[in-house]
Formats: sequence, structure tokens, C-alpha cells
Amino acid sequence: MAKASSKKKAEEKKPEYIHVTFNRPRQYSWSTGRYLGHFYAEAKENKRIVGNRCPKCKDIWLPPTPVCPKCKVDMGWDWAELPQTGEVYQYTYLVMPLWDPHYGEKWANPYPSAIILLDNGVFYRHRLEETDKDKLRAGIRVQAVWKEDYEERGHGMADILYFKTIDEQEAKRCLQ
Amino acid sequence: MTERVGILAVGQTKYCPNRADVSEEELAYEAIKQVLEATGLTLSDIDSAVTCSQDFWDGRTISSMNIQHVVGAHLSHEDKVTEDGINAVYCAMGQILSGHQDIVLVVAHTKESQAEKSLIENAAFDPALMRQLGLDFTSAAAMQAKRYMYKYGITSEQCAKVAVKNRANAKNNPLAQEPMDITIEDVLSSKMLSSPIRLLDAKPTSDGACAMILAPEAKAKKITRKPVWILGASNCYETHYLGDRDLADCDALTKAAQKAYSMAGIKNPLRQIDVAEISEEYTYQELLWMEGLGFCNRGEAGKLIDRGVTKMGGKLPVNPSGGVLSGNPTGVAGMTRVAEAVLQLRGEGSDRQVEGAQVALAHGVTGICGQLQAVMILGNS
Ligand SMILES: [Zn+2]
Repeated sequence: MAKASSKKKAEEKKPEYIHVTFNRPRQYSWSTGRYLGHFYAEAKENKRIVGNRCPKCKDIWLPPTPVCPKCKVDMGWDWAELPQTGEVYQYTYLVMPLWDPHYGEKWANPYPSAIILLDNGVFYRHRLEETDKDKLRAGIRVQAVWKEDYEERGHGMADILYFKTIDEQEAKRCLQ
Repeated sequence: MTERVGILAVGQTKYCPNRADVSEEELAYEAIKQVLEATGLTLSDIDSAVTCSQDFWDGRTISSMNIQHVVGAHLSHEDKVTEDGINAVYCAMGQILSGHQDIVLVVAHTKESQAEKSLIENAAFDPALMRQLGLDFTSAAAMQAKRYMYKYGITSEQCAKVAVKNRANAKNNPLAQEPMDITIEDVLSSKMLSSPIRLLDAKPTSDGACAMILAPEAKAKKITRKPVWILGASNCYETHYLGDRDLADCDALTKAAQKAYSMAGIKNPLRQIDVAEISEEYTYQELLWMEGLGFCNRGEAGKLIDRGVTKMGGKLPVNPSGGVLSGNPTGVAGMTRVAEAVLQLRGEGSDRQVEGAQVALAHGVTGICGQLQAVMILGNS
């Protein structure tokens, strides 16, 4: 058994870490497939948010899915365009920058990331333009802001820059 | 085993590279739809799903989250295995034998095309003490091939014969990726990947999925006329660090086989097994694994291929499907062996059918130089 003094010395020693640096990124070429591919195409071509509708419960799923999670039936190919306005259901205010896995760049910060309840009752998840914490709360009305340049679109949810805060008056105009 | 577990149906996608037309979820669903149609079951009838996929290949932490809808796992039971689908089948068997689950869906998927194979494989090595050597599965396998050939005098020609046989068998399998008419000379003159392994000694990059439905005996008989029974199953691990085991032998496989054989009442595998589907990612492996499986003594598998024992019409046809060499993705390949064994035992092997097959062996492998070995014995009566 080690003497008490040497044991104490061992405890004082700093732990040794293995630091590994990946100089080469592991690249992936993920396929959107048919369902998410349709979502991507509608965003790029028409600045539309689309989901697919279950033939049984008629719920709309976003992102689209081949199988309704609730009814566990094949979804077929029935699409619905979703409203681009809604309200913030919940949000979290991110102050620690994370890496964007698609582009390998750090996301700007701080910014709020939110679950948005679209006006047809379907949830979407996106970033909010508003970064003033005092102006953020659950329930504020928001609207999607698209990248206007066609060539810059083609990245699915990233074709929408963020959801901006709108007043009720403006919301009504949008819904027309 | 006290109660038998039946495989009710199997489904496989066609194996191809670059399935850019489907997402991982859609790929898995292609195979799942087949087993649902074959059994008349719906996803609501599934009590539990056991999935097999790998986070590094999928590029996603908890890769099974990706496919939860298509396995019916919304507010339902799901477990994930990250080795080979054959281990997922084993896990499903255990769930049924425990009495916890009845109808179990098993699905494995991998899209090798979507990532860089050698980088993913390199990450399987110990990060502190092996990764820096720059090895991937092929360069590690090359060391195993050399050691095996040196120790037992196995020749490059004998290894090449495995490629010739399996690529030709693949011509009878519409799901196979690379059916080929090739000669020994073609194999020996194909591009060198990592000596002594050449391009035609190795499996190609592949995407695909495989699905099955399992159930306990009574339910299995109600749902299908032709259930296939798992008579014995086992797996065994061995050491990770190269050099700690003699790469020319495969003790883990021998142990896994012995346990599966004793469960299934197999005393003489060469005589009692009618057809074998063996996971050979490289040609030498079919020979080496046959030795581990006890089809011959150590070092004698070269003679078996020379004598034509393992060809179609031979005493023990090995890989009538074309094997992994003809193209199956990592993580799916061993489960594909089980699926092919099931087709043989149901008499549904069409052009690749081994007439009158009653007992089949399926073998799966995971990791570096066959670190994890899995064996399953299946029967139709
Ligand atoms: Zn539904």
C-alpha cells in the first residue's frame, strides 16, 4: 500500500487528457429523399412551407414523414401548404455559439431559437429576428422572412432567414 | 431453448451504391414495407422494434431517431444495436424468449455512400493508440490476410476463387449489387488496394436495408404458413488490439459457433448444415471464417474451395446470394445473411435456391479483422 504522503502527491497531479484535433472534417452527403426533397423544392421554387397530410387522422406533419407517427399508416402523397405566420410557443435565448454542422461556421449569437405555432396549428422550429430579451415572450406574433435571392435558396429551412415579430395589423394583411 | 422463435418474413432493398434518391428513413421503409405486406401486419401490430444503424455512418447522434416513424416507434418500444443487424435479430429473439414482447420488427440500414468509408472505419480504432496509424478496415484486413496466408499456405489463387464463385452466384440474385463473370486472372490483376487485397477481393461501397418480423412459435404459425425457426444463436468478441490475437485464427468465431451448434444440436456442421451465408468482406475471410465455423480444420479451407465443396451444387454451398463481396453495406451485411438463409429455408431462393435446404447457417461480423463474430442456425421444421 502506498504511503499517505505519496498518495496525496498522486492526487495533486493534474489529470492528463488526450487532445485530438480533427484537421479533416468528416463529410456527409445526406439525401433529402422524396418527402423532405419536396419540402426543399417548395421552399426554393415557391417560398412555401409544406407538410404532408395523414390519410387517416388528417394531421399535417412538418417535416413531412412517410408514416404517420400517430396512426402508423403510410402517408401517401397528400401535401398541404402551411401559413407563414404564427406565434412563439416557446423560445430559448442562446448565448453560447455552436457550430453549424452544414457549413462548419459558428452561428452568430446571441439569438433566440423558438418553437413556433403556425396559424393552422402545426408547429415549426426556427430562429427569431428579435434579439432584445425585453421584447421576447411566448405568444408574440411572428412571420417568416425568406431569402429573396433564388440562387441563395435550396437549403430547406435555411431558405427562411428567421421569423420576425409582427403586429396584429400586419398579421391580418399577411393572411389575406 | 424452451420456446422457439420464428422469423415470419424478410425484406431487403436492392443493394446499390449512391441511393441518393432516398433518405435513410425511406431506405429503411422500403424493406419494412415488404415484411408488412408479406405478413399482413401493420405497424400498429408491432410490439417492439429493434433497429441497427451506426451514428458515424448516419452522421447523427442516436441514429435510430431518424427512422422512428417508419418502425412504428411512436409511443412504443424501440432498441438500437450498432453492430450488425444479425445482432439485432439476436436481441429480438431475446425479447421474445423473455416473454416481454411478441411481434418484433427488426430493421438495419446503412448508406455507406453518404460518408467517407476509410474515415469512418478509422474512427473504430482506439483513438489514443491505434487511430494515428491511419488504418482502416481494408489495411487492417490486409495484415490478417497476409498472416493467414503465411501461416497456412493459403494462396492468392484460392482467395480469388472466392470472388469468382460469389460474383457468379450473384448473377442469380436480383438484389445483388455486382454480379460478375470474372476469372481468377481478373481478380489477380485488379487494382491493388492494400497488399494482398485487390479491388475484386473486397466488397464494394453499398447502400441498403434489411427488415424482418419475428414472433414466438404459436403466433408465428398463425401469421405465416412458412415460419423459419432460430435453432441456435450466439456471438463472441475478441481482443481489439492487433497482435494480441493470432489473426490467422478466429477463436471468437469458433466459440460463437460452438455455442450456436450446441443449442441447435449440430455435431457435424459440414454434414448437418445444408447452406451457409458467411460475411466475407474480403475473399480470404470466407476461407478463414469457414475454419472458425468448423467446416474444416484450421488452414484447410483452401482445399474446400479447390474441391468445389462450397460452390452451388457442392456439398455445402456458401453464399448462394453472392455474399457480402457482391455488395452489402456494413451493419446490414450479417442480417442479409440471415434473410438469405430464411429465403433458402422457405424454398424462395428462386435461381439461387439450394434444393431441399432444411438447416442453414448465417454469420455476421463487426469491426476490425472480425473482432465480433455472430452465428445463427436456422431451420424450417
Ligand atoms: Zn394519422
